[in-house]
Amino acid sequence: MSVQNLYSAIKRLNAELTYSAYLALANVLDATNPEESELPPLRVAVLSNFTVDSILPVIKGEIALAGFFPVIYLGGYDSIMLDVLNPVGSLYAFQPDFVIVSQWLETLSPTLVTRFLSLSPEQAATEVERLLILLDETVAALRNSLKTPILLNNFPLPSYTTLGILDSQIDSGQTQTILNLNQAILHRVHQWRDVYLIDYLSLLARIGSVRGVDERYWHIGKSPIGRHALVPFGQEYGKFFRALRGKTRKCLVLDCDNTLWGGIIGEDGLGGIKLGATYPGSCYQAFQREILNLHDRGVILALCSKNNEVDVLDVFRNHPETVLREEHLAHWQINWDDKITNLNRIAENLNIGLDSLVFVDDSQFECDLVREQLPQIAVIQLTSDPSAFIPQLSGSAYFDSLTFSAEDRQRNQMYRDESQRKQQLHETFDSLETYLSKLEMVVEIGYPDDVTIPRVSQLTQKTNQFNLTTRHYSEGDIRAFLENPDADVFYLRLRDRISDLGLIGVAIVRYSDLVAELDSFLLSCRAIGRGIEEALLAHILNSAKSRGCTRMLGKYLPTKKNGLVADFYQHHGFNCVSETPQGLDWELSLDQDIFPTPSWVNVRIVK
Amino acid sequence: MVMKEDKLKQAIADVFGVDFNTVNDNTSVDTVQEWDSLKHLNLVLALESEFDISLTEEQTVQILSYPLIKAVLEEHDIQFN
Repeated sequence: MSVQNLYSAIKRLNAELTYSAYLALANVLDATNPEESELPPLRVAVLSNFTVDSILPVIKGEIALAGFFPVIYLGGYDSIMLDVLNPVGSLYAFQPDFVIVSQWLETLSPTLVTRFLSLSPEQAATEVERLLILLDETVAALRNSLKTPILLNNFPLPSYTTLGILDSQIDSGQTQTILNLNQAILHRVHQWRDVYLIDYLSLLARIGSVRGVDERYWHIGKSPIGRHALVPFGQEYGKFFRALRGKTRKCLVLDCDNTLWGGIIGEDGLGGIKLGATYPGSCYQAFQREILNLHDRGVILALCSKNNEVDVLDVFRNHPETVLREEHLAHWQINWDDKITNLNRIAENLNIGLDSLVFVDDSQFECDLVREQLPQIAVIQLTSDPSAFIPQLSGSAYFDSLTFSAEDRQRNQMYRDESQRKQQLHETFDSLETYLSKLEMVVEIGYPDDVTIPRVSQLTQKTNQFNLTTRHYSEGDIRAFLENPDADVFYLRLRDRISDLGLIGVAIVRYSDLVAELDSFLLSCRAIGRGIEEALLAHILNSAKSRGCTRMLGKYLPTKKNGLVADFYQHHGFNCVSETPQGLDWELSLDQDIFPTPSWVNVRIVK
Repeated sequence: MVMKEDKLKQAIADVFGVDFNTVNDNTSVDTVQEWDSLKHLNLVLALESEFDISLTEEQTVQILSYPLIKAVLEEHDIQFN
């Protein structure tokens, strides 16, 4: 099967997202040699106590859509414990990147689901306790051998409870018992490292449990997920693969006419467009509110519209009913050029990759053009019904992330400040150095603590450009480095005259004997081009030297995106010592003087 | 409801991973090597999703060839041109 078939199956799936399209792609994947696909493999172990085979094609498709080649280990039916307790078994030999433990309550505890009334309240509580102990043992056994993320699930409620309407009146009913169990699982997930909860309860509530659970499939093949639920179930896992593998998108690029308001501003004018408290203007207002929620979550907002700039800006500045205002927009391209050119300009101006963009437009023509010319961009083609815009946007989950940091809240402000800096650079300052010194930059370097570890892990997962090795680390990994006496993790925080850019740099160093090796070195893209990486590198070299190290080693592992740092080592005096198929190895002797921190940065070391 | 046969052929091709053009009246459990019990459940799911119907228990075991699949879909008022 040729790689061409693979890419056309992925393209078809992107446009349709139907179960058939997932099946078709899964068949092509099964017939493709992973190495020829040029996609990096993602190895997922699926352990389950019910038949999940019908969801697997969707999981495989989601992994491929995220840019990986799915390699799946499917455990035996209802033999999770056998798999996890055997340290030399095939599960651990498989070396998964992710472990999915998917459990259905009816298999786990038939009594709780089908014969609830046969249990006294005390017996029901004991049964819940038994399930939790089982879960504890499962996770503990997995953690003995694996550090990879584990995806667990909670339990949906039965469509009809044993006690009927009475069940919701009492606190020891079936509903409350299952909700208590779910609550206890959530509590455990918070305590465990790198264990995440797939919320089956909410997922099935969204689909509807009568529609989503198919009793026929359950009786035919212990496969309870109905046909309306197969795609959403698989996609829910896809959201976690994307979030944990740095595939979260960053910027929402919006069309204006018939997207952010009804009508055409250039023709209908400020008073004629539909935007306000009454239908259909209320749909557009609600959509704007949802976009503002994304803005508050740290998604960068940009406009891409074929219009006169002054007409469009008039809406955001002067329309009494607009929710989005000029201050929420990090950048815009409002002109009569084609949208491909404008999307490239937006990515360039914001210093982010095209694959960080999500493009929203109501026009079939524009959407098809972008899908064809810039397939890296995710496209949401709005329906003609504006009340359906919000589910279309939220359902796509392109911006879903598993962390929410102070930096996220401030992101749009930072990107606007950056535009301001860029303008000042052109207008006021004659040389880069003068400009940089006028920024009054203060860099803080230190070791991450409980508060900053999530952000450090997030940066390793999300930073693709200024990143020498592009190694993704979970919070657990970062903690492990910090606890290891032969390793150091440094963070870098930056603020300047205009704003606080927050924690934007990470370096990880490993030591063995007299040799230090740079495991990771990265800077968030909004801090590139200011020379602060020299401050971080100088600090690392000095601390390696004071440990007694004589040499610093470093690797450059090229990806499609980190060409920016190809010269990094050479530029800082390293010698290239060998070339491997993965990249280049560099070395710097620490006997010589370490180069000084650049004059325009004030460095503060936090012990 | 009148359907193009192409839609049915595509669904079958998707399930078994065979070429669309090879699906015809001879397509059956005996001629398609990939047709095992797991793929058969996928076939049920795919037909139900694609045509928005629910097969009866009897029908799920009847659909063992292309002509039989068509016959079952016709019982759900889906006509082919």
